[in-house]
Amino acid sequence: MNNSSSFLFEPKKLVPFLKALKWQQIRQRNMIERPFLPHSVWLLQHSSCYTLGRGSDNKNLYFEENNAPFPLYRIDRGGEVTHHLPGQLVGYLVINLNRYETDLNWYLRTLEEVLIDVLDSLGLKGERMSGLTGVWCKGFKVGSIGIGCKRWVTQHGFSLNVDCDLSGFNAIVPCGLNNVKVGRLNYWIPSLTVSNVQPLIRESIQKKFGLNWKKTSIFSY
Amino acid sequence: MATHDIFMPALSSTMTEGKIVEWLKKPGEKVSRGESVLVVESDKADMDVESFNDGFLAAIVMPAGSSAPVGETIGLIVENESEIEAVQASSSSSSSSSGLESSSASVGAKEKKDPIQTSKTISSKTQNEKDLNSSGAMVPESPIINTGRIIASPRAKKLASQMGLDLATVRGSGPHGRIQAEDIQKVKGQPNTVPWIAESDTPARTAPSTATHSTFEKSSKVQKAPSPGNSFGLPGETVHFNTLQQAVNRNMETSLNVPCFRVGYSILTDRLDAFYKQVKPQGVTMTALLAKAVGVTLARHPQVNVAFSSEGMVYPSQINVAVAVAMEDGGLITPVLQNANVTDLFELSRQWVDLVKRSRSKQLQPNEYSTGTFTLSNLGMYGVDRFDAILPPGTGAILAVAASLPKVIASNDGSISVRKQMQVNLTADHRVVYGADGALFLKDLAYLIEQNPESLSS
Repeated sequence: MNNSSSFLFEPKKLVPFLKALKWQQIRQRNMIERPFLPHSVWLLQHSSCYTLGRGSDNKNLYFEENNAPFPLYRIDRGGEVTHHLPGQLVGYLVINLNRYETDLNWYLRTLEEVLIDVLDSLGLKGERMSGLTGVWCKGFKVGSIGIGCKRWVTQHGFSLNVDCDLSGFNAIVPCGLNNVKVGRLNYWIPSLTVSNVQPLIRESIQKKFGLNWKKTSIFSY
Repeated sequence: MATHDIFMPALSSTMTEGKIVEWLKKPGEKVSRGESVLVVESDKADMDVESFNDGFLAAIVMPAGSSAPVGETIGLIVENESEIEAVQASSSSSSSSSGLESSSASVGAKEKKDPIQTSKTISSKTQNEKDLNSSGAMVPESPIINTGRIIASPRAKKLASQMGLDLATVRGSGPHGRIQAEDIQKVKGQPNTVPWIAESDTPARTAPSTATHSTFEKSSKVQKAPSPGNSFGLPGETVHFNTLQQAVNRNMETSLNVPCFRVGYSILTDRLDAFYKQVKPQGVTMTALLAKAVGVTLARHPQVNVAFSSEGMVYPSQINVAVAVAMEDGGLITPVLQNANVTDLFELSRQWVDLVKRSRSKQLQPNEYSTGTFTLSNLGMYGVDRFDAILPPGTGAILAVAASLPKVIASNDGSISVRKQMQVNLTADHRVVYGADGALFLKDLAYLIEQNPESLSS
């Protein structure tokens, strides 16, 4: 019923942040011009970096902007500072919300559901915090969400901490919230790695958005 | 002078106000249609807000960092560079109330985005405005309120001239004291009416129940008394045609020189209605559905998507379906769904909503209403069972779509059932479209709507 074919990109190597941003921007621009194009989904891991949303406050950095421990990028998404690194699964979605709901609240809540369903299939209980965006488990924030949108075509998406080193989060106030404790899924399932979680995320996104993956073998990164 | 407002968009159905993160353009800077002018944030989501017009950003009404309720004017765009100064001058000289407005809004933003509080601020503000207006109305002769350049919306100007009202005596409630249609109506003691546009949802207005009896009663509208008809003038008056009506008159007169014929078809719509019900929650409109069906069928019948010229038959490079929309203050306009055969149904629906919205505010660009290659006219929402349309110049055919009504249908095997049926009637220029072309087109359209409407979303 829905025109829901989608490209799925799963690069095997770590992807520099700006490279993934560029991929999304190109797909977003194409989709704005030709709205019937297939959606695009990326599942990947970044090399370590910090990113700031457009309205982000430097107060949330415990270091000088020009003396950051990892590369720091200010980008066109909502929300405050966040940290990407290996061991954290990142999902980017360039999808046309005109084919779903033209409602960003709906979209944010649906991305939360994607993560909550994945936690559920791992036997963990993912929770929302009222008034905030993201997914928590046993009081620790494990999933972050930040999106940008133009003519209802989205970019950016979510990140899920699986087995990453969390020390880099100590240098920032994650999401600008002082009392947030950042956690990762292998606190509770010690043997868990990104490669275990990735198929679950893939499936959960496919189900939530009713996507049919197109063959993407011609796109090699 | 043409001033266009930039409004705070609704990023979600639950959003009452949004925060302006950043203006991507400075006052005085050139903007093109479709270009991002500012970024609005709600929660963890950013949305680029685009300009609907080519022109210049004349004024930023709400600065970055402030919050504004959905629908509030946050910036102004003018068409010519020469108009920037006038808008900026009037915005600084105009009542301190607009200054108040933005400061109260930013206070609201600091107070942790409490929607209730903000709406309180707003309602008390409008209360003040009401007081001002009513006290103004007590004064026997209308005092001059505005000196110098008067800024008013096109619709306000038109209403004022129709009512013989001097705009200098009207207090504007819009941004920078801009006079809006409501202000004119308030002065004249008229109720605020929402402009209407005859945009139909038929034929798919099926009653949710399948009970034939109630469906029939509903569609034949026995229960509800029909509303009274429209009039542009009072008895005894002669009212000048407005520009739009004059344009329609010219087009209709031109058609007298075109040798037209008409051919009709009855199409069963049960399956289309069911499909519509399925996709409606995703924002699909019946107009988009019909336009897509017509577009897809035209692609298979290029001889119906053709125009006459003295050189010969002109085959357009695109299939652009224009849809007639009646305007509240007279005349009609035909917004165009471009490439209706290949554009995604959901995108077509989005475009249609946008086109209708901008038709209302008279913000359509010429290429958005003059590039149709085939026209659709739908009076189904009034329950008419058949009508025929007049061919717009420069096109080869127009399709008149009537209401979908329950009918007793006899099938070939002798069985009888009640099915929904709508009549469509094609008017075509016989110099380029022949009877058989029209008939085959209608047969194919009927097949698509009756047998495979689901394919329209793929």
